[in-house]
Parts: sequence; structure tokens; C-alpha cells
Amino acid sequence: MIQRHQRIVFWCLILCVIGMGILLAVERQRGRARIKALAADQTPLDAPTATTEAVTLDLANDDDGTITATTRQVALPEEANARARALIEHLIAEYALPGSPHPLPPGSAVAEVFLLPLPVVGYAADTSPMAANDRGSMGTLPVGSSNSDASNAKRPGGELAVIDLRSTFVNQHPSGVEVETLTLRSILGTLHANVPQIEQVRFLVDGQARETLAGHADLLRTYPASDTTSIRGGAHSANEGQLNQ
Amino acid sequence: MNSLQHPVMVGLLALSTLTAAAQTARPAARNEGKMPPAKVNSLPGPAPTPINRTVIVLDPAHGGIDSGSQISDTTVEKDVTLALAFRLRSMLTVRGFTVVMTRDADSPSEVDAEGTALTLDDRAGIANHAHAAACLLLHATGSGNGVHLYRSELDATAGEPAVVPWLTAQAAWVPQSKLLEKQFADALARAGIALVASNASVRPMDSLECPALVVELAPEGDDADSVNDTDYQQHVALSIAGALLFWQNQVQAPVRLSTVAAGKAVQASSTGAQP
Repeated sequence: MIQRHQRIVFWCLILCVIGMGILLAVERQRGRARIKALAADQTPLDAPTATTEAVTLDLANDDDGTITATTRQVALPEEANARARALIEHLIAEYALPGSPHPLPPGSAVAEVFLLPLPVVGYAADTSPMAANDRGSMGTLPVGSSNSDASNAKRPGGELAVIDLRSTFVNQHPSGVEVETLTLRSILGTLHANVPQIEQVRFLVDGQARETLAGHADLLRTYPASDTTSIRGGAHSANEGQLNQ
Repeated sequence: MNSLQHPVMVGLLALSTLTAAAQTARPAARNEGKMPPAKVNSLPGPAPTPINRTVIVLDPAHGGIDSGSQISDTTVEKDVTLALAFRLRSMLTVRGFTVVMTRDADSPSEVDAEGTALTLDDRAGIANHAHAAACLLLHATGSGNGVHLYRSELDATAGEPAVVPWLTAQAAWVPQSKLLEKQFADALARAGIALVASNASVRPMDSLECPALVVELAPEGDDADSVNDTDYQQHVALSIAGALLFWQNQVQAPVRLSTVAAGKAVQASSTGAQP
């Protein structure tokens, strides 16, 4: 015969177990909701200071294949690397808005931006056929005898920006020659307009070299940062009857 | 008596050696920046790359697990490019061309020793070995309309270097690619096909040693599925084949630069590429 006080203790313990189980389930649910909220947060990277400044965003338009310079008031960090990254994040955030003329997937696009002073000391990209391996990765060569001018700055203080894109952004990017080219030109033009010391740009995806953005645009080459708003001027319709030679 | 033992003969031999050395060194010294590139090109150098005027390379982009862009719910880019390539191959063959295709099935046509699919560089390798009169990279899209032509964004160089950099091999061929683009534009305009011509960096165009263009087939009107329309594809293929018939008599290989000039050309193409 089980005594009365033992039965009371037993049922108290059962109640404790059930209570702890419920508490555990609730906390787990809260944790999941918190992580989901963090992942869905598409707030652009803002500067620690609240002061905003006018920046020029080179916005692409898929309808006519043009890039138009547009001014926006944006708060940007002072430090150049963070500034370049914030600019690209703001640019991609514009494209993620509903009704964008160049719709891109929402979410963070850039893992990191590194600015390297030109010429790149030590190693430069090796453009020989032997250097490109099966995965499209490129090798490097010591800067020196053969092609050292390739990475020289055009003016003092010129820098190479290495933009490390996130694979989540690249894998969801729309595929097509024009749409991919417009994305790259938009980034190049925006960096040129707002971070003038950037002269050249290289792209990585998750820290690795990748052949193309979404099957078309070349991500292996080094792009010059320049004004890209006038480039589509080379394009024309057949009715215009002349080519830009 | 051995002639080398005679002091006069030894002196003459040394003099002739020095003269020969000076003659070989003088052009090299001139090439190091004392002469404009046009005069460098006039120096006797290696023969230009041979061109097979009746060979055309067609690269139907994508294939296998790489579907390319999703043009509509039922159409993917890789199928359209292959269908257009087949049409173009037929029309070129009856006009006397030899057509080299980088793939003639869903997946790339050749595999390497390890059984892996062809990379974009492999496709460029196939094209470069053909020494073709034109290399056409066929793409398709659901946006815009008509035909989109793209040529390389690389800056043209004065000639083809002795050692060609893989990622900028197209630089020496850019002037020819421009001419080919004009030929295509005129032919498509005559056929009443809407045209957009621009430049872009599309892999592996910059690695091609031939006049190269990206030919992107866009819908005929508002319906994206019209890229699958056989009559439309036939119309476009007919115009392109006609343009290539004229082109085969105009294509010219770029001059081959001597070693020193080639080094300068390589540097120029590496730094001068514009987006």
C-alpha cells in the first residue's frame, strides 16, 4: 500500500515534468520565431550615425536596357569598405522593391567588400589558359616580369574593390545576358560615382571565383569602375540603321 | 691549317657575329616604345592565324543540368538555343559551310577523360581549334524582342600577340567582330527583324580567337513562347546564313605581333577593357 505522502510527491513530480515540457516547447517556438524574423529582416545596412547624404545610384531598367543615375538620401558609414558594401546593399534593396524596373531577389547580396590599393602587391590574376581550372577558378601570378602593368593604378590612391557576393543572391538572380550585364554595370557605376578611389572591381561568390553570374555575365574578369549610364548608347534598333563603330 | 687559328679569320668571324647580333637587337630596341604600334606591325613577323573561311562555329549555350533562363513555364533557354543551332546548321551546310557545333544534344557533345561535361573553356577550345570564319554563341531570352547582338567589351589591340592570354584572346579580333556585327545588323534589318546591338562580357566569348558574337533570340512580339516558333526561327536563321555567306569573303585574321610588341598589346588589353 503506497502511503499518502508518497502519492502526493509522485503527482507533484508529474506536474513538474509536464510544466517543464510545456515551457520547453514555448521557448523553442519563440527561438524559431526570432531566427525567422532575423532572416527576413531586409533592412538596408545603415550607418551608425543618423546623418544622411546624397548618393548617386545607377539604376538599371530592363525595359529599355538603360542605366539612369538617380540621387537618394542615404546614411553611409565613413569607413570605405563598409561604405562600398552599404552602397551595394542599398542598390539591391531598391531593386527588391515592388514594381522595380529591374527586379532582383530580396535579401542581403554582399558578404563583404575589400578595397586593395593598386597595384596589387605580390600577386595578380593569371590570365593564361593553364590557370583556369575545371571549376572556372583563376590562378594567380607573382606581379613582376610579364604583365605587371595590368594591375597598376591610373592615378595615385587608386584601389581594387573585391566584392564578395552571397550565393543566396547569385543563385536567385534572373538569368539572361542583358539582365545580368545590367546588374554588374549598375554596381560598377554606383561605386564609381560614390567611391571615386575604386578603379577596378573583381567579383567573388562566397569567397570563391565563379565563371558567371547566372549563366551569362563573366565574373572572372576584372571590370573597370566607370560611368555606365552612357554605355547602352552603343545599342540601337535596326530601324535606326547605323551601328556605333 | 685550321682557319680558326688564323688571327685575321678569327677577327672576321668575331666581326660578323657582332654585326649579326646588332641586326637582331635593333628591331627589338625599336619595339621598346620608340616606334608607334603601326610601324611595329609592319615588321616581318609570324604569319597571321589561318582562317577556314568555310567553317562556322555554333555554340548553343547551356545544356545538361544548366538550363539557362526560364523563358516561360514550358520553355527553357537550352532547348531554344539547340533548336536554333540545328536550323542554322542546315542552312549553312546547304550553302557550302562546314559547321562545328559545341553540342548537338541536350548535354555537351564531348566529355573529357574523366567523363565530366564540357566547361565553357572547353567550348572555347573547340571553337579556337576550328579557326573558323565566325563563332556564334547562341542564347535566348524571354524579354525584349527580335534579335540581340552582343560583342566583346574588350578594347581592340593592334594585333594578336605571340602568346595569347586566355581571358583576353578576343581583343585582337574585336575589329573583325565589329564588322561581323554590322553585317548581321544589315541583314536582320533587311529582313525586318527587330535588333538590339550592344557589348557585354559573356563567357566564353573573350577567350575566342575568331570573329565572335553572342546572338540572343528574343520573342517576336509580346508572347515569350514565340522564340519556339519554327517560322520565326527559320526567318532569323535565314538572315544570319545570308550574312555569313557575304562574310566569308571579308573576314581577315589580325596581324601577329612580335614578342615585344605582343607584351605591350597584352598589357593594353588587360587594363583597357571597358564594361
